[in-house]
Amino acid sequence: MATLEELQARIGRLEDIKQIERLQKIFGYYQDYGEWEKIVDLFSDNDPSVEEADRGVYKGKESVKRYFVHLLGGGPDKPQRPGWLSILFQLQGVVTVNDDGASAKGRWYGMGMEAKPIASLHEGELRQTWIHGVYENEYVKEDGKWKFKRLYFNLVFRTPYEDGWLRVPVVGQNGPDNTVKPDASPTAYFPYPSGYRVPFSFKHPITGL
Amino acid sequence: MNLEDLEREVARLEDIQAIEDLQKMYGYYMHSNQRKEIVDLFSDDAESLEVESAGLFLGKEGIKKFFLTDPQTTIKEGKTDVPGWINILILIAGGVVEIDPSGKTAKGRWTTWLPESMLLGALPRQQWVHGYYENEYVKEGGRWLFKKLHWNVTFFTAFEAGWLRIPLLGLLTRKDADAPAPNFHPYPCFFQLPYHFKHPVTGE
Repeated sequence: MATLEELQARIGRLEDIKQIERLQKIFGYYQDYGEWEKIVDLFSDNDPSVEEADRGVYKGKESVKRYFVHLLGGGPDKPQRPGWLSILFQLQGVVTVNDDGASAKGRWYGMGMEAKPIASLHEGELRQTWIHGVYENEYVKEDGKWKFKRLYFNLVFRTPYEDGWLRVPVVGQNGPDNTVKPDASPTAYFPYPSGYRVPFSFKHPITGL
Repeated sequence: MNLEDLEREVARLEDIQAIEDLQKMYGYYMHSNQRKEIVDLFSDDAESLEVESAGLFLGKEGIKKFFLTDPQTTIKEGKTDVPGWINILILIAGGVVEIDPSGKTAKGRWTTWLPESMLLGALPRQQWVHGYYENEYVKEGGRWLFKKLHWNVTFFTAFEAGWLRIPLLGLLTRKDADAPAPNFHPYPCFFQLPYHFKHPVTGE
């Protein structure tokens, strides 16, 4: 029979996983509505970072804010343009809480539907797209609350609705922004059909490798 | 932490699990069109059901009316046989479930993706549909039930067109609803369905 302390530790671990899953899913809901300030508040104050697709790495809380509020949001309190649509399901989380109980990693699928202005010869043109990618995120527990330490979204495809991923894997490559500059280049931007595999945060559950 | 605290924690995790199962089972019953089974997932004291443009249905009676006398999918009243090609597939994800401190009620938000085929007007159509749930649950006799079901549609498009070109393929308005749907504001109007939860870090 387990002791009270052992049971407490086991329940605590389940509770941590639940809280991290909740954090990731709530992030998804805020992202759907473009609530960038709320997303910034989901990050740790202590050296957080964000990197998505080919945008580059934004390091530190100020850069995280620049990325979400200024780059994605176009500036504070700027309303979304008519027709803007962002739905990205946060799916299939595999969350590993480290032994310290204060940090964790999680792999997720992002899959969704968008209608956004696409960087193209027709600047500002709205396109409807299917988007898919893989998250490998890091979390940290501060003052009893789980927060994002690192948000990393590796894009697999973003294809026009009318074409499909086989014919057009990525529409509207953004690249590192010239105005709201990232702190470092993309670490790994190899969309479909490169066959790139995002390294796994978890170990094989049977072999442990 | 003493044994009582531990028991409370375990109960909370079990409650969340039971509610997640309830919500997913609702989806499976919808897919197999077992309407009677769905009605039994609702409390006898259920408040309301609001779906898409269909309308607001009040109380258990309204909920029975919605599911069991649906002109879209019912051949005869009380029966739920439908032709095999009609497919209402609700993929349910992203559950954020909050148990009230009383342990008796709960709220949950979910995101949904629906590949559907059904009659729209006189025509069989294939559709992509997205929406969110903001639901309420109640624990009665040790079991969790729906207290309030609200599914809010984002878009409802033809497979052949996509959400940008056809945000809304048609209306599913029910003339037997107790009231018109109060929150029916589909894409691209950018309606934001309020969250029941507080911000996990700021608490606002």
